[in-house]
Order: sequence, then structure tokens, then C-alpha cells
Amino acid sequence: MRSRRPNADLRAFLIRLPAALAAAVAVWFLVRPLYNPALCAVAQEIARFGERPAASMVVLRDNDALLGRSDLRANSEWLKLPMTQLHFNLVPFLALVLALPAPLSGGHWRKLLVALGVLALSHALGLVWELKALEALSMGPWSRATYSDLARNVYGTLRYFFNIPVTFALPLVLWVAVYWERVVALVNLPAMGEA
Amino acid sequence: MCQFGVRSGWSPVSRPSPGGAELSTCCAESARGVDRSGGHRDNPPVSKIREFLATPAGRFVWRYVAVLSVGFLILALRPVNDHVVDPYTTFVANESRVVLNLLGENARVVGQVLTSPRFSVTIFNGCNGLEAILIFVSGVLAFPAPWLRKVVGVALGFVAIQVFNVIRVVSLFYVGVWRPQWFNVSHVFVWQSLVIVFGVVLWLVWVRRYALAKTQR
Repeated sequence: MRSRRPNADLRAFLIRLPAALAAAVAVWFLVRPLYNPALCAVAQEIARFGERPAASMVVLRDNDALLGRSDLRANSEWLKLPMTQLHFNLVPFLALVLALPAPLSGGHWRKLLVALGVLALSHALGLVWELKALEALSMGPWSRATYSDLARNVYGTLRYFFNIPVTFALPLVLWVAVYWERVVALVNLPAMGEA
Repeated sequence: MCQFGVRSGWSPVSRPSPGGAELSTCCAESARGVDRSGGHRDNPPVSKIREFLATPAGRFVWRYVAVLSVGFLILALRPVNDHVVDPYTTFVANESRVVLNLLGENARVVGQVLTSPRFSVTIFNGCNGLEAILIFVSGVLAFPAPWLRKVVGVALGFVAIQVFNVIRVVSLFYVGVWRPQWFNVSHVFVWQSLVIVFGVVLWLVWVRRYALAKTQR
């Protein structure tokens, strides 16, 4: 598919983008009160998968996730992670989606739902790796006694990857994957929609 | 991450009250019934993924992810961090210092800390623009275009993202001066979102205006 008006589609996309960004921010603010507790609950379930005793905890306080363990002494400190840092990439993803014309048409809503699911999973896993990295790396002798060097390195690496590369790159990857035909049209690239 | 007073991200807090969270039990048993025979060619989800990866979209996505993963792995290596990332971050801090001093601030750089009598910002990994550059560069390299145009795209994109990042650091500095309570929101929410969108727009413009400028005619 190739646009008959070179650059017109891209120009229209760029013109729509600021409004789409504003709409994405509005959606994010509306969804956040429901999304934050759900994310913490899912992350805690994943973190406790196969864990004996099941003591990893993810607790929501205001807009922060408090990470720790329930089997440590009562006066031990917990760590606070702003939830915004985890899921702000929902905003650029939604902005890119909303800047496209009719983003839900042609069955795209199904792909969009899958993409949002992937994004949500990345948020939950990001929270899990933060928790696991905390347990494996930052709890002193307990960490060294409980986690092997390999596990410590794996959790540290996963935390890094979900903290920066996945957070920053996933919106573009998902957007391109869901709307490939539209992106092809946007960049005026013919015959790329075919395998 | 940029920093004002207290480091953003992790910070110690007191333990939440016991009633503050609903505890749920481990659910290892629930996974026992899951079919783990993925990989069979007739398995619909797997065949769909294979079909997708065979399309240009799929090829772009896996190439993009591969280049990006290798790039971030390289950046994560300690020698690279010590000899490339840290000096680069100091370079970004110095660029921002020059702009701030042009605007009348008495700014100076100590290591990776941009400081003035009015405010100080520490530039960490994630705030030095390298990630945005890597994301853009991966998009350029993964896209089917002539190599010369990729090289030009990488060079121009590098400069554009540098300029964008200096604007970001300088603006965050002034947010810290005038509205310090807005600093975290501006830093995490506003500017990081804008960085991603900027990288995508830059990539689209490169593809449309430069990568395919003559090959499609």
C-alpha cells in the first residue's frame, strides 16, 4: 500500500500526535487507580510462584510499590518504587496508537488488546525483577545465603533489561507489530506488507 | 536517572502495616495442567508467531529486538560503562552546563553532577540519552534500507537526540529551580514519554524522507 500523497499521511500523523499524547495522558490518569493495585497483586503472585515460604510482598501505597518480605524482622526497611516509572510507557504507546486514523478498525482492536496485554505483562515482570533483584542483591548476608551467584546475576540483568531497554523499546515494537500496514503506509513503503 | 535531593526510584521506607496488603498464597499447583507442548508446527499460537516472523513486520521486529538486545548488553558491560558510558554522561552534563551558562546560570560539572547555586542535577544511566540513541539506531539498522543511508541516519539521529536531551536536562534543571515538586513527574512521566515519541518520530521521518527517498522511485 502506497500513499498517493507523499508525506501527507506522515504530516497528518505528526499533526495528530500532540492531541493523541494528551488523550493518552488522560487515559493513563483514568486507568492508573485501577491498574496500580492490579499490577501489584499480579506481580506478587508471580513473585511467589514456587516460593517456599511464600513471603515476597508487593504492597501499594499511594502511587508507589513497597517491596519486601513478610518473613523478615518487623523493623526491617522496605523499598519504594514509583509505579509511574514502571508503566509510563503506556502513554507513548497509546499516543502512537491514537495518532493513527481509525486505530480500532479492521480487527486491529484484537491485536491492540494483545499488545496491551504484552505491555501489562512487561510491567508486572518489571516489578517482579525489581523485587527479586532486591532480595538477591540488597539484603546482605540473607541474599548471599539464599541466592547463588548465578541467580544474583540473572536477576540483576533482568532488572536492568526491564528497567531500561524493555520500558523504552516496547512501545515502538508493539506499535509496529500491531499496525504494520499502517506504518508501511505512513513511511510510503510499497510491497512490504507481503511476506 | 536524574536526581534531585533524594534519588528517584528506590528509597527506603518503613514497613507497611500488616493490614496494608492482601496476602495471597503461592499457586505453583495451578500450572501443572498447562500444556507445555509448544513448538509443534500445528500449534496455532506457535504457527501464528512463525507466520508473523516470516513477514517483513516480523523480520523488522526480531532484527530490531536483536540489535537492541546486543546494544544494551554491550552498554551493560562494566568496561564499556567505565570507559564509554560514564565519560559520555559527563560530556552530556558539560553540554548542558554550556547552555545553562549561556542562560546566565553559574553552573559547573563535578563528575556527572550538574550543579549551580540554585539547583543540582545528577545525570545517571537512562538520562544521558544513550538509550534513546540506541533505540533509534536499532530501528535504523533493522530497517531494510541502503547502508549509506543508514549511516547518515545514525549520524543525524545522534545529533538530533543529543540536542533533544540537552533541552530535556536544561528544562528539568529549571523545573527543579522553579517547581521542585513537579520534578519527578516531569522527569519520569513527561520527558521519558517524550523521548520515546521523539525517537519514533525521528525514525519515521528518516524512513520516509531519507531511507526511501530514491529507492522507491
